[in-house]
Amino acid sequence: MLDDVRVLEISAPETMLAGRMLADLGADVVVVEPPAGSPGRRLAPFLDGIPGIERSLTWQGLNYNKRGVTLDVSSPDGKALTRALATKFDVVIEAAGAGRASPLDSIEFAPSVIRCTITPFVRTGPKSEYAATDLTVMAASGAPTMTGDLDRPPLFFPVPQAMMEAGADAAIAALAGLIARDRDGLGQRAEVSARIAAMMGSFGQALVPGSGNPEAKRTQGAMIVAGVQVPSVYECADGFVLITIGFGPVFGQMTQRLAKWATQEGHMGQRIAEISWPSFIGDLSARKTSPSDLHALVDGLKSLARSKTKAELAEASRRLGLLSSPVMNMKDVAEYAQYRERGLFASVSLEAGREIDAPARFAQFSNYSIEIKRPAPKLSEHSAEIFEAELGLSKTEIQALFVAGEI
Amino acid sequence: MSAPPRAAPLEGVHVLDLSWVMVGPASGRYLADMGADVIKVESSKRIDPVRTLGPFKDGKMGPERSISYHNLNAGKRCVAIDIRRPEGREIVLRLTRWADVVLESFTPGVLETLQLGYSDLKRRNDQIIMASTSLLGQTGPYAKGTSGVGTMGAAMSGATYQIGWPDREPTGPFGPWTDAVTPRFIVASILAALHRRSLTGLGSYIDVAQAEAGIQFMMPAYYEYAANATIPERCGVAGSPLQIPQGVYGCSGEDRWIAIDASAPTHWDALRTVIGGELRDAKFDTIIGRLRNRAELDKAIAGWTHEQGVEAIEHRLQAAGVPAHVVSGSGNLVRDVDIIESGYLNKINDPVFGEAEIEGPRFSLDRTSLPATRRGPRIGEHTKEVLATVLGMSETEIAQLDEAGLLA
Repeated sequence: MLDDVRVLEISAPETMLAGRMLADLGADVVVVEPPAGSPGRRLAPFLDGIPGIERSLTWQGLNYNKRGVTLDVSSPDGKALTRALATKFDVVIEAAGAGRASPLDSIEFAPSVIRCTITPFVRTGPKSEYAATDLTVMAASGAPTMTGDLDRPPLFFPVPQAMMEAGADAAIAALAGLIARDRDGLGQRAEVSARIAAMMGSFGQALVPGSGNPEAKRTQGAMIVAGVQVPSVYECADGFVLITIGFGPVFGQMTQRLAKWATQEGHMGQRIAEISWPSFIGDLSARKTSPSDLHALVDGLKSLARSKTKAELAEASRRLGLLSSPVMNMKDVAEYAQYRERGLFASVSLEAGREIDAPARFAQFSNYSIEIKRPAPKLSEHSAEIFEAELGLSKTEIQALFVAGEI
Repeated sequence: MSAPPRAAPLEGVHVLDLSWVMVGPASGRYLADMGADVIKVESSKRIDPVRTLGPFKDGKMGPERSISYHNLNAGKRCVAIDIRRPEGREIVLRLTRWADVVLESFTPGVLETLQLGYSDLKRRNDQIIMASTSLLGQTGPYAKGTSGVGTMGAAMSGATYQIGWPDREPTGPFGPWTDAVTPRFIVASILAALHRRSLTGLGSYIDVAQAEAGIQFMMPAYYEYAANATIPERCGVAGSPLQIPQGVYGCSGEDRWIAIDASAPTHWDALRTVIGGELRDAKFDTIIGRLRNRAELDKAIAGWTHEQGVEAIEHRLQAAGVPAHVVSGSGNLVRDVDIIESGYLNKINDPVFGEAEIEGPRFSLDRTSLPATRRGPRIGEHTKEVLATVLGMSETEIAQLDEAGLLA
């Protein structure tokens, strides 16, 4: 879909998903790394637990479908090469480090180029000089303080997330610039703050005070209804299962069916199944129901969940239309028939003779298909090819750049 | 030289938003922020459930008081139609002729039953770009009839399993996590399709499964299993076992935490200079030394942080160049200079509840403008306007539909 679009990605952890999404949608993406390799190559986990420039699985998963060159964007030769390369590309994506000007600042881009810059905080704002890493940007998002148990510290994802949030929004910002250019031929600069991108996962925490509400606290994923802690994750026979209890005309019906099933299975009294769960909240204030009814529901569900496997609960959830699903680990994800048969996965090579199935198709289209056309580039894999084809450099010139340590 | 054109990227693009709750509306919000004219279709007989979700203005519930609703639907227009009746269905089909993009998030199979599936819409507009989103997608053995919410998406993407303390059940990420992740993949796909359409005239049908979108943000963990056959487990404490010091430390006051990442050698040197004391011990000189004495190092840092105010620590460490930030709660966010000065929070004024704040666009462009952030529409606020100006209906026609109970 983006077959006519060429993207130059100055590699950083935050650019990786952006470049890959555009590549997946058909763009020709060339990733530029310093001669020693992108910082993304030093992100865990590593193939077989052994580190190495070609062994980062984070790099592998976020850089397939791209070609790669090396050059030092801050040296005079590197700048000249970058400037020359930039004239061949429609979109340039970069992540400016905190407090440092981007090495691209001295390059005058053609008016048609869309330059997309990711910074940890707003580039021109009071925290632009802040030293930042994925952890500190996530801390600033408002999500971790709501994640986990109140008697323990806030929880963070075990996988860096600010770089994912920023990368995904940068892909959108670059495409917005492209759509504007389709109309008038002019490029522009787009800017993404990783912190603001990550705030999407806080579900509006920043709006709580402005609407006259008290600050909320984390609750171990549970919701507190009428003083009753209603969990979302329940232990089952072979792991964990998520069960959402909802109220109101839409989600309350699902709770009704769930209560009926738990009663049939002998895990709670008939009376609990006969409570009108869609109108529970209203009935509570009218004193037609009491918090102890909700307690009884939760206790019954704990007992029900313990008696079933993840697969049995998933089957019941489908059959009865419940808001319930297995808590999948990555093995479950890899083996799930729905993902397999639907065509989520595409095969990709990690090194000679090592292939895995990657969950590549984040979207499916009636007249386009996301494919993995090439694995993540090895360090400098396409330098010679691209400098020759794009910049017309001779074999001698390319070797000279290498000998000088520029590539 | 004349000034460069400033029209917003999607000015003139028409979006029919049949979706509800979060993923679809958040995707439509992105498009509205880029200048698209987005018409939300709702019915007062079956209101968007997000209207029952807080925070509510001043904590008082009410379908027109949900700030979450406004945040997800800012800048859209809203028509109220009963699309389950033939005349309502016909209005949707006529709006499809006007639309460039249609968004929907019904349980897979429902729109086909209403004869409003992609093939029905395409018959009226063969260049239409239609995006459907659901928990598991439109195809595959468990797709049809499966509905779900973002907490389920998180559970089925492998995220929930990995977030929590090893001695307790998994906690999962905050809220309906995939509802925040999925819109990015929907919007990027729609924009790519719009680009292709401008060159070729081709429309497209786009199907995004929310659980699958979540896996994208968990890619490193998925690869760890696929390549190394290791199932990543939940580990509780923040920070990587390979990086030290990196984590959250308690500060003075109730539930106040500072995130500090001084794992890079220069940041470590700076942190050591600021804190001094026990951190000067020779056993912390090297990375190996710090890894082997991790518990002791974390205790020493926590001993320094626990009597100070969290914002003061952030300033002190940042002044020394150490990556550190308050683990922000809602109170911190609204006081944060980065957020205040960026203008990210926008005042809205609603005739029902008065003033509140909602978020602005998620990125900035330096040439083309982005529309000012406006409140979300009330149910059916623009029904008559849209039927008259978009579909060219006469007042009599509209009155007839209204009397027949279709416009509620």
